[in-house]
Amino acid sequence: MKHILAIGTATLLLATPVQAEPGKWTDEPVRIVVTFPPGGTSDLIARVLAQYFESEYGQKAVVDNRPGAGGTVAADFVAEQGPDGTTLILGNNAPFTIAPTQFEELPYDPMGDFTHIAYLGASTPALFVQPSSGITSIEDYIARANGDGITYGSSGVGSITHILGQAVDVALEIEQIHVPYQGSAPAIQDFRAGVLEAYYDMVALNGDLITEGETQPIALAAPERSPLFPDIPTFRELGHDIVIENWTGVSAPAGMDPEMVKTINDTIGAIMQMEPVIEQLAKFGIAHTPMTSEEFTAFVEGTITTWAPLIRAAKVNG
Amino acid sequence: METLTSFGNGLLVALEPANLLYCFVGVFLGTFIGVLPGIGSMAAISMILPLTFYLEPTSALVMIAGVYYGAEYGGSIASILMNIPGTPSSSITCIDGYPMAREGRAGIALFTSAIASFGGGIAGMIVMALLAPALAGLALNFGPTEYFAVILLGLVAASAVSNGNPIKGIAMVVAGLMLGTVGVDITTGAERFTMGIPELRDGVHLVIIAMGLFGVGELIVSIRANASGAHQNEIDYAKFYPTKAEWKSMFAPILRGSGIGSFIGALPGTGQTVASAVAYAVEKKVSPNRARFGKGAIEGVAVPEAANNSATQTAFIPTLTLGVPGSASMALVIGALMMYGIVPGPRLLVDHSDLFWGLVASFLIGNVLLLILNIPLIGLWVRLLKIPYRYMYPTIIVLICVGVYSLNNNVFDVWLTLVFGWVGYLMRLFRFEPAPFLLGFVLGPMMEEQLRRAMLLSRGDATVFLTRPISGTLIAITALLLAYAVYSAVKQRRARLNASAITEQ
Repeated sequence: MKHILAIGTATLLLATPVQAEPGKWTDEPVRIVVTFPPGGTSDLIARVLAQYFESEYGQKAVVDNRPGAGGTVAADFVAEQGPDGTTLILGNNAPFTIAPTQFEELPYDPMGDFTHIAYLGASTPALFVQPSSGITSIEDYIARANGDGITYGSSGVGSITHILGQAVDVALEIEQIHVPYQGSAPAIQDFRAGVLEAYYDMVALNGDLITEGETQPIALAAPERSPLFPDIPTFRELGHDIVIENWTGVSAPAGMDPEMVKTINDTIGAIMQMEPVIEQLAKFGIAHTPMTSEEFTAFVEGTITTWAPLIRAAKVNG
Repeated sequence: METLTSFGNGLLVALEPANLLYCFVGVFLGTFIGVLPGIGSMAAISMILPLTFYLEPTSALVMIAGVYYGAEYGGSIASILMNIPGTPSSSITCIDGYPMAREGRAGIALFTSAIASFGGGIAGMIVMALLAPALAGLALNFGPTEYFAVILLGLVAASAVSNGNPIKGIAMVVAGLMLGTVGVDITTGAERFTMGIPELRDGVHLVIIAMGLFGVGELIVSIRANASGAHQNEIDYAKFYPTKAEWKSMFAPILRGSGIGSFIGALPGTGQTVASAVAYAVEKKVSPNRARFGKGAIEGVAVPEAANNSATQTAFIPTLTLGVPGSASMALVIGALMMYGIVPGPRLLVDHSDLFWGLVASFLIGNVLLLILNIPLIGLWVRLLKIPYRYMYPTIIVLICVGVYSLNNNVFDVWLTLVFGWVGYLMRLFRFEPAPFLLGFVLGPMMEEQLRRAMLLSRGDATVFLTRPISGTLIAITALLLAYAVYSAVKQRRARLNASAITEQ
């Protein structure tokens, strides 16, 4: 009995993985490269991270904005840096999910040139229509699209909202008229001027409009209903399996030491559990799910394959 | 009445010592950044953005705004003294400001610019205070058809920006338009003229054109001209204060410039450069002194300065009340507000009225501060002209390179600026003007985007431009303007023919 107990305990102890503690991983200041200009959601998340890296763990960090070419300029730059932990990228679908399919030639390999460290969270887009249009359900929407036709605004060709629009076209077997804008703000402006009939946008950013009754949400492209908007049904529960999320995560150049990867992952995980951070991210509509680096890597690869047919369809139809 | 009470409350907020301090820091920093060619307000705002996160939202907004409109005060200084724009929107001030400096009237030009900027700023503030909700409501009625009509009107009105040969002017507008198409097309996602260079996918940035064509181009011209050690501009220290006649001639242009600037600034997406260009063009058509434009007319300095300062203030209207940024700097402002959990939108006037009115009141304080700062410094700035070119020019080139690099942290942009510098030089050699080029570059793509979007939304029905009331009215005005232009051209020609016929006799 004693033997079994002893061997059992020893085995259990051996089975416990090496715990990397959250904490600073390098004495050099870290640069978090952002794929979009300052002021956007990616940029703000990066700044929150940088702030907490420094205040909680003494890890100095700065945000480096390198916008351009759909996030590829930033990703290309990071791919060429060394994996010593001084360069990180606030990844999202632009350079890692969309770009690989959208551009024939990419100066980097989204999986091979990067170490995908930690998943941060995702925000989900939803379909909104004019309250005056009388459309309140997805069936009404399909009927209108097949009848008079319906125009929808997106935040740009190849953007996540456009890809969602494409996915809806395919799944619902309708043909919406796509009107691209530069970002969702001008689209919402035209919507409120009454010239645009529908649009897709991140649900969290439309909270005010929904409460004021200025916009009518129809469906959400999330796996489950959002706790902040419990009245909006998901596409999935309406019978159309459309899940498209705007994910964000932290990645680094390829070949990073697994210890360092674990430290960074744990540090980020700890920060994501803090109340003020959760509140801050909720304002952007982002909720965090913890993932290990391996899970995150698989996740990124998964998004490339799942989205590829949708992106190709979006590209062809423009 | 209620506006006055709200403004009063705002004034109390803005006069709090902390906000006063941040306002001062903002405007001072802004002026300084504006003077430096190449580094514009956007670079300055990105730099102070992390700092603002530790401040109260009102203080942060007051400081950022201070930098934003302070830069417009400073931008004209470089334009007048060196013919190199400090900010892209001061490119228009170069046209009359620099000739004034060459005549030795640099002090007067700087003084005029300060007064005009002040006038424009106050006008913009009044518009914002009185009309913010109304303008926001109006902007809500602006769909792509209305935008297209406004831009078309602007383009036609601004066709007068060219001083010389009208054919060359049109050629430049078209060339600018063509350059504006470089990049990914918004409506189809197709790449146009990017020649396989990924950095060109987002098109050529306005700052690159402004700094390259106007800035570096001018430098190359000056280096050639001064190679033989030719004279530096004479400075008449005694002449800072304009004469009574000059004061009088400033008044109306400032009013007109502010009016046009306030309106165009309030339209999201149009920007200060458009405002100053259109105001200049309109003034040229309307002013009694129009023959002097381009050779050193005081109105030619007052109008663009009043316009771009008022446009800078009213740019906050769509940003705060609609959440639609008019420019990249405004997008930064929205980002900063969101960090505080303040969502810009119609509710902002109601939920955060302290913030809004504190900001509006801070415009008054900021503009006064800037006037006080700038007038005594005129002597200092004018003395800058005495620095030998061999020290000044390399410094300017470095500043331009740094400023352009700070846009995207990409060296490619710097090379592109130098390329445009050479293009600007060649243009000057062959007497092609850069101003219409700038206009075509800015307005062309905007017009195309709105036109195609309007057609998409109307399902291919082109009559929508005439049936929608606002756009219909604007197009009618444009048609009238064009008709008038043709009529006066024909009349002029006939008069000339008659005159030569008479002299023959």
